[in-house]
Amino acid sequence: MAILEVDSLRKEYGGFTAVEGSSFAVERGEVFGVVGPNGAGKTTTLKMLAGLIEPTAGAAAVAGHTPGEPAMQRRLGFLPEESPLYEEMTANGYLEFFADLYDVPAEVARERIDHTLERLDLEHRDRRLGNMSKGMKRKVAIARALVNDPDVLIFDEPASGLDPLTTNYIIEFTRELSDEGKTIIFSAHNLFHVESVCDRIVIMNDGRIVARGTVDEIRDAHGGTEYRVYATVDAGGDPVAGEPVDDRRDGDAATEFRHVVGDMAAVEAVRETVEGEGGRVTDIQTKTPSLEEIFLEVASEPAGDGDGLASGRPDRRTETDAAARTDDGTQRSDEREPTEDAAEAET
Amino acid sequence: MSDETDQNPDRRSRCHRLRGALARTARISRWEVSRSAGTVDRKTVLVLAALALVVGLVGVSAAGEGVGLEDEIYVVAVDEDSRYHDVAVESEAFRPIPLDELVVESGDEANADVVVTRNGELARYGPHGAAAHDAFVEAIDAYNEERFRQEANETAAYPVHVELDYQERNFDGETEQGGRDGSSNGDSDGGTGTGPAENGTGDDSTADGTDGEGSGDGSGDAADGDTDGTDRNDGTSDDGDGRLQVPNIGGAGGAVDGTVGPPGSISPPFPFQSLLLAFLFVVPMNFVIQAYGSTIMDERVKRRGELLLVSPASRREIVAGKTLPYLLGLVAVAVGITVAVRGGLLSVAAAIPIALLFLAATFAGAMLARSYKELTFVTVTISVFLTTYTFIPAVFTDVNPIALISPLTLIVTDLQGESVSLGEYVFSTAPFYCSAAVCFLLGIGVYREEDMFAQKALPAKVLDAIASRLHGYRSVAVLTALFIPFVFAGQLLAVALLFAVPEQLAVPLVIVLAAAIEEVAKSVHVYAGFVRSRFEASLRVAAVLGVCSGAGFFVGEKLTHVVQFVGLPELTVGAAAFGPELSGDPLLAAAVFLAPLVLHVVTAVISAIGASRSRIDYALTVVLATLVHAIYNLGVIALVA
Repeated sequence: MAILEVDSLRKEYGGFTAVEGSSFAVERGEVFGVVGPNGAGKTTTLKMLAGLIEPTAGAAAVAGHTPGEPAMQRRLGFLPEESPLYEEMTANGYLEFFADLYDVPAEVARERIDHTLERLDLEHRDRRLGNMSKGMKRKVAIARALVNDPDVLIFDEPASGLDPLTTNYIIEFTRELSDEGKTIIFSAHNLFHVESVCDRIVIMNDGRIVARGTVDEIRDAHGGTEYRVYATVDAGGDPVAGEPVDDRRDGDAATEFRHVVGDMAAVEAVRETVEGEGGRVTDIQTKTPSLEEIFLEVASEPAGDGDGLASGRPDRRTETDAAARTDDGTQRSDEREPTEDAAEAET
Repeated sequence: MSDETDQNPDRRSRCHRLRGALARTARISRWEVSRSAGTVDRKTVLVLAALALVVGLVGVSAAGEGVGLEDEIYVVAVDEDSRYHDVAVESEAFRPIPLDELVVESGDEANADVVVTRNGELARYGPHGAAAHDAFVEAIDAYNEERFRQEANETAAYPVHVELDYQERNFDGETEQGGRDGSSNGDSDGGTGTGPAENGTGDDSTADGTDGEGSGDGSGDAADGDTDGTDRNDGTSDDGDGRLQVPNIGGAGGAVDGTVGPPGSISPPFPFQSLLLAFLFVVPMNFVIQAYGSTIMDERVKRRGELLLVSPASRREIVAGKTLPYLLGLVAVAVGITVAVRGGLLSVAAAIPIALLFLAATFAGAMLARSYKELTFVTVTISVFLTTYTFIPAVFTDVNPIALISPLTLIVTDLQGESVSLGEYVFSTAPFYCSAAVCFLLGIGVYREEDMFAQKALPAKVLDAIASRLHGYRSVAVLTALFIPFVFAGQLLAVALLFAVPEQLAVPLVIVLAAAIEEVAKSVHVYAGFVRSRFEASLRVAAVLGVCSGAGFFVGEKLTHVVQFVGLPELTVGAAAFGPELSGDPLLAAAVFLAPLVLHVVTAVISAIGASRSRIDYALTVVLATLVHAIYNLGVIALVA
């Protein structure tokens, strides 16, 4: 059952369309990622869901409530990308105030705050926020988002600008929250974090959703795993019309070709053909496109007229260009290595 | 029965929501106080408290007795058995020394500035001798005056009496005893040579002998001031028909009061002491809005407000919660000042709308400013404008009823020991209350993510603020009516500013300015609606919006007839701004009543059509509407005249 539903959400600023026709649904307990380049409309989308920005058209509902309704706000925890705190307050005072604002009884609030801060390993709770490190402040901000025990959490760049240790801590904490059944909308530029945390994602570009689904589904839609079969045959021969490889592997008398195929059956077919012609397969490599590669590919393309889907399931033919393949030839084996700083922080 | 049961849950729900809203507002207020307190350390608090105490004491002392800068600045040599010795002792400016201790050095130098010889002559020495001599003469006069006041036999002390007796007048401009004014004036005024009671009777009252000591106090100021006000309007009133130019404003300026004392005790029509004390009420507001503006700006510039906006608290609750501590603080200060200067409840009641408008204008300004630099400009502008707007009219408290456009006038009146009617209080404060409400509403309109944290140009934000209040045609009429207090205040300000300008120039200027202010008020939100795509930019929609705006303005304008409670339209300049009073003829009355409706609708439609097209078209059509409006006003005045 979807706890969050978004239908044809659109936001215009004057003549500029920040978000165009976004539709998706998020299941209860799901971690849903929203990724895209700067200016793609991610933050605008998240703020519309949080009730901070009024959509120009379309609708959204969180647990059946329209964003902005007090009943909905009580069930929502929002962690903006920039979360400036009241630095003259202590962590305890700050969190107690917000708990009070959410009508959380004082005793419950005290217990919840203590518990959350312990989990976040935050000490010096009576220290003024202005005297805390950036990582500590971020933990306080996360604790504030949890102070009302929300059903839905919106995390916009939760680990932005933090050191790797704190970042991992926060990512791990997000996983724990997911395990507890919280529904989390998660946006980050670090696609490794997105890939490791999110159950499903949407990729936005120019205000539109251009890809959606699980990471594997999106990967499949972009070609999925490639099998690269290297074969040598006698000079001048090429039984399966492969791509010539410059670096000869088997002496001058033979020519090496690379055949890129999509599954093991095709690999076997290539092998049989090559061997039937007197050649031999010298190497078989696999290459799985990372989310970052897919992101870069999608982000470099002009946005289309919309994804045409309202179900929340991906449509590979319309949302992605499955024919476009990444093939830089530099990573010869399974290339799912993360790149930490893939993109700049969205401003 | 079933209806009642149906309604009860609704009522309970409403009560529940209201309680929740109040609770959240109170929480935000408490938080604002504790948070703000966290920004100031204890030492600073102590220093500020000490500073406030010193300033307060100095202020009260200065208002009462002067600051004592001249204490014993002169030395007078006088024998203790001289009758001038007591003068030197009682005067704070002099330090007496025995005549035997006088040492005259070479030339004109001595160890005393003034010397009272044994035969009663005054001599002076040194560079300060001349000033000391004059001061000592004044001290002698003051000493004598004090002795006269303490004299039990008043007739012996004051052989010549002047009694000023001011009369109430009615709306027809006649005094209750106007028929016998003329004959009695000469007798009573001739002896004084001041001639202030030109319209007073002065003939049939007897001195009660009890007011002698109070001749220089507040009541004396008020009575004298009103008389002078009569004189100031003589330029148009020397018609011999006994009409007074100053209309009846109840007890504020024309109280029936008698003043008895020597001619020298007649004070000028300038309530200096009351005005100075009333000004004390405004001073703290200028400081508090700095802190208030900063806290609002902090929410925006540092993006702190985002997290409050995403909470269950509504924008109104957030703003109310953040404002309440500052308002309550100002009210507490007003109460403190009132107690210190021995004012009454009226002073506090008059200070509240001023404080509210200070805060509301600051809030709206802080929501529009894009940086702390702009905020400084905004708060200084608000300080200067509102302080001027409240203070300048109050100077004329005892002179002209137009002074009531400022609630500070009510404070001055209160400090003079006089009362005001409810109508006068409403007249004076309603524009402030309404303007404050509109400022808060517009500010709350842009108290949202899209405007708070965006760097938009000022006009764009103003349009956003106005457009945020537009939800359908009806809202246009409502918004127009809500602008009436600004129109009212703007027109009153125009009247006040042009008060000193020759009437031949002032009247046409006021007519055009009044028309322009009204036309802008009727159309600026329509323009905002079109620019922000709240309405379809078509001729039909423009016409409908114009009709709504014109009708809304007509309704709102009728509310300004409250001015008739105090007779302000009887002033020539005031009539130019507000139009004539309704005629007794029903047909003419109906025409006069409905003609403005037609005017407002027509001119609003003109402006709305321009607004639906472009900014330039809007500007041109506003000018056109203003001209039509001004011609109409001129026609009505000519017709009525």
